[in-house]
Amino acid sequence: MLTLALRSVRQRPGQFASTLLAAFLGAGVIMTFNSLHDTAGQPGVDSVSAETLSMAAGVVGGYGTLLVFFAVASTLTVNVRRRSVELELLRCSGATPAQIKRMVVGEAVVVALVGALLAVGPAMLGGRALLDMFQDTGQVSRSVDHAFGPVALLSGVDITLLASAGAAFLAVRRTTRRAGRHDRVRKFAAWAALLTGGLAVCSTFALSATDAALMAAPAYGAILLSVGCALLSPKLLTGVLDRLPLTGASGWLAVRDLRQRAGRLAGILMSLVLFTAVATATLCMQSVESDATAASGLRKSVEAKNLETLNLTVVGIVVVFVCVMLVNSLYAETTYRAREFGQQRLAGATPGQVLGTVAVEGVIVTATGVLLGTAAGLAGIVPFTVVRTDEVLPGQTLGIWLAVVAVAVAVTLGTSLVTARRVLRTPAVVAVAVAA
Amino acid sequence: MFRSGARRTHDQGPAPEALRLVKVSKTYGSYGSDDSAVRALDEVTLSLRRGTFTAVMGPSGSGKSTLLQCAAGLDRPDGGIVTVDGTELTGDGEAALTRFRRRRIGFVFQQYNLLPTLTVAQNTILPLKLAGRRVDRGRVQEILTAVGLGDRLGHRPDQLSGGQRQRVAIARALVAEPRVIFADEPTGALDSRSARDVLALLQQAVKVHGRTVVMVTHDPVAASYADSVQFLADGRLAGRLQAPTVDAVAERLAHLGDDMPTGV
Repeated sequence: MLTLALRSVRQRPGQFASTLLAAFLGAGVIMTFNSLHDTAGQPGVDSVSAETLSMAAGVVGGYGTLLVFFAVASTLTVNVRRRSVELELLRCSGATPAQIKRMVVGEAVVVALVGALLAVGPAMLGGRALLDMFQDTGQVSRSVDHAFGPVALLSGVDITLLASAGAAFLAVRRTTRRAGRHDRVRKFAAWAALLTGGLAVCSTFALSATDAALMAAPAYGAILLSVGCALLSPKLLTGVLDRLPLTGASGWLAVRDLRQRAGRLAGILMSLVLFTAVATATLCMQSVESDATAASGLRKSVEAKNLETLNLTVVGIVVVFVCVMLVNSLYAETTYRAREFGQQRLAGATPGQVLGTVAVEGVIVTATGVLLGTAAGLAGIVPFTVVRTDEVLPGQTLGIWLAVVAVAVAVTLGTSLVTARRVLRTPAVVAVAVAA
Repeated sequence: MFRSGARRTHDQGPAPEALRLVKVSKTYGSYGSDDSAVRALDEVTLSLRRGTFTAVMGPSGSGKSTLLQCAAGLDRPDGGIVTVDGTELTGDGEAALTRFRRRRIGFVFQQYNLLPTLTVAQNTILPLKLAGRRVDRGRVQEILTAVGLGDRLGHRPDQLSGGQRQRVAIARALVAEPRVIFADEPTGALDSRSARDVLALLQQAVKVHGRTVVMVTHDPVAASYADSVQFLADGRLAGRLQAPTVDAVAERLAHLGDDMPTGV
C-alpha cells in the first residue's frame, strides 16, 4: 500500500499542493520559533537573553502546534473527501479499510515530510530575522548568534508528521464510518473549551492592573472561547439559516446548499472565528496596554517590550497563517464543487446566478464566523480593559475590529468568487462529466 | 422580472417545427493539423415536428452526443443554424444561451444531474426558481405524483434508487413546460424495469403533454419506444426508421456498424 501511496503522490502532485502548503507553512512556523530554543541553549548566552528567547519560543511554539494541527487537518479532510470516488474504487477492487487507511496516512506522511524539509531553509532565515528583531529592540544582547539545531529540526519534523498522520487517520476514518460518536466527542470538546475559556477570562479579575501576566489569562481565554465557538459553529450556522428569509434564486439556493454543507464548513468557520478573535483581542489588548503604560509616564521595561514584540509577532503569524489556510481550504472546497456548479447550470442557472449563490454563501459564512469571533474576542478584551484601566471598552476597538473584518471579508469572498469564476470557465457538460 | 415579461410578448405559441438544424457542423481538436481534428458533425440538416418522440442512434463516436449538445444550446456549432421552437439559437455568451434554454428546453441525463443538497421537491422547482418564475406547489405535487414520487417530496437524491432519481429528473424537465426535452442515454444506468418506467414517462410527455422529445441512446429497446429513429454515422445522417421495432432497429444498427472503417 505504501508503494501505491508513493505512486499516487507522484502521479498527481497538484492534488497534494494544498496539504503540502499547510505542512510547509506549519513546519516553517514551528521551526522558526523553536530555533530560538537552540539559540538560547548555546554556551555563553547571558541569562536575560536566554529567558527572552525561551519564552518567545515556548509561547509561539505552543500556538504553532495547535495551528499546524488545525491547518493540516482541515486540508486533509477536504482532500480525502475530494477523493471519495477513488477510495470507493479501491474498496471495490478489494482493498480492505485498513489498507486504504494505510495508503492515505502514508501519503500524508510523505507529503508532510517533503513540506517539513522544504521549510528548513525559510525557517533558518525566519529565525535569524526574529533574532535580529529581538536584538534591535535591545531585548537580546548583540553577541548572541542564531543557531538552528536539533530542537528546531526535530520538533518541526515530528510535530508536522504527527499532525499529518493523525489528521489523515481521522479524516479517512470519518469517510469510512458514519458520524454519531464523533458528534458527541466534538460537542464535549466544544463545551470543555468554552468552560475553560470562560474560567480563564474570569480569572482576569483576580489579577492586579500591573501584573505582568495580566494579558495572558484573557488572551488564552479568548482563544479557547473561539475554539469552542468554532466547534459549535455548524450548529449555529444551521440555526441562522433557518431564520434567513432570503428570496431570489441565488439566495434560495445558497440557503439550501449551506444547510446541507454546514458540517463540512467547520474548518473554514474555525479559521474565520480564530482569525477574528485572536487578531481583534490581541491587537486591542496590546494597544490598551501601550496606552496605559504611556499614560503612567513610565518607560517600558524589557519585560513589557518583550510582551509587545511577542504579541505583535503572534498576531502577525496567526493572521498570515490563518489567512493562507482560509484561502487554501476555500480554494479546495470551491474547486471540489465544480460538478455541483455544472449541475446548477444545466438546470438553468446562468454563470451570474452561480456566482451569486457563491457570494451569498460566502457572506453568510463570513458573517457567522466574524460574529462568533467578535463575541469570543470581546470576552477577552472587556475583562482586560476593566482591570487595566477603568473603562469597559477601549476606544480603539472599533477601528481594529473594522480592519480585521475587512481582511476576513476580502479573503473569504475574494477567494470563493475568484475560484468559482475559474471553475465556471469549464463548459457545464464537461464539468458534470468529470467525476460522473 | 420585466425580462421574462418582455419575452412573453414574443412567445407566439408552439411552432409546428420544434427543432430544426441546417447544415450544422462541429469539429473538435485543432484546425491546423487535419489528422488530430475530429469532425463530429458534418453538415447535418434535420427537422423534427412538434409532438414527436425521436431516438438518435449510432455507433460510439458517431456524433450523437455532439448533435444533442449543439441542438440543445449546450455547445456552439462551428457552422450552421439551430432553431428551437421557431427561434434561432444565437448565443452570445453562456448567460444568454441559458436564458434561451430555460423556457424552451428541458434535459434528462444519464447521470441524472440532480443537486445532492436539494430534496426531490426542491430539485423539481429549481428551474422555475432560477428563471424567477412563480412556483405552483399544486402543479409540482401533481407532476411528482404523476411520475410516482408523490410520497418522496422530502427525500434527497442519495436516498432514492436510480430509477427514482431519473423520474425526478423527468419531473424537473416537465415542470418548466419546455417545448423540447432532450434526453441523453436516460436509461443507460438503469435496470430494465426502471428503464421501462422512464421510457413510458417520456412517451407520456409526448402523447399527453404534447412535448417534443429527442433521445440519444444505443439501446434498441429504448429506441423502440420512439415514433421514429434517426441514425447517425461518422457525423452524418444515415437513414431514418419510422415506427421502429426492437429487431428492426438492432438490424439496422448492426448494418451501420459494418460500414464503419474501424470496429467499435
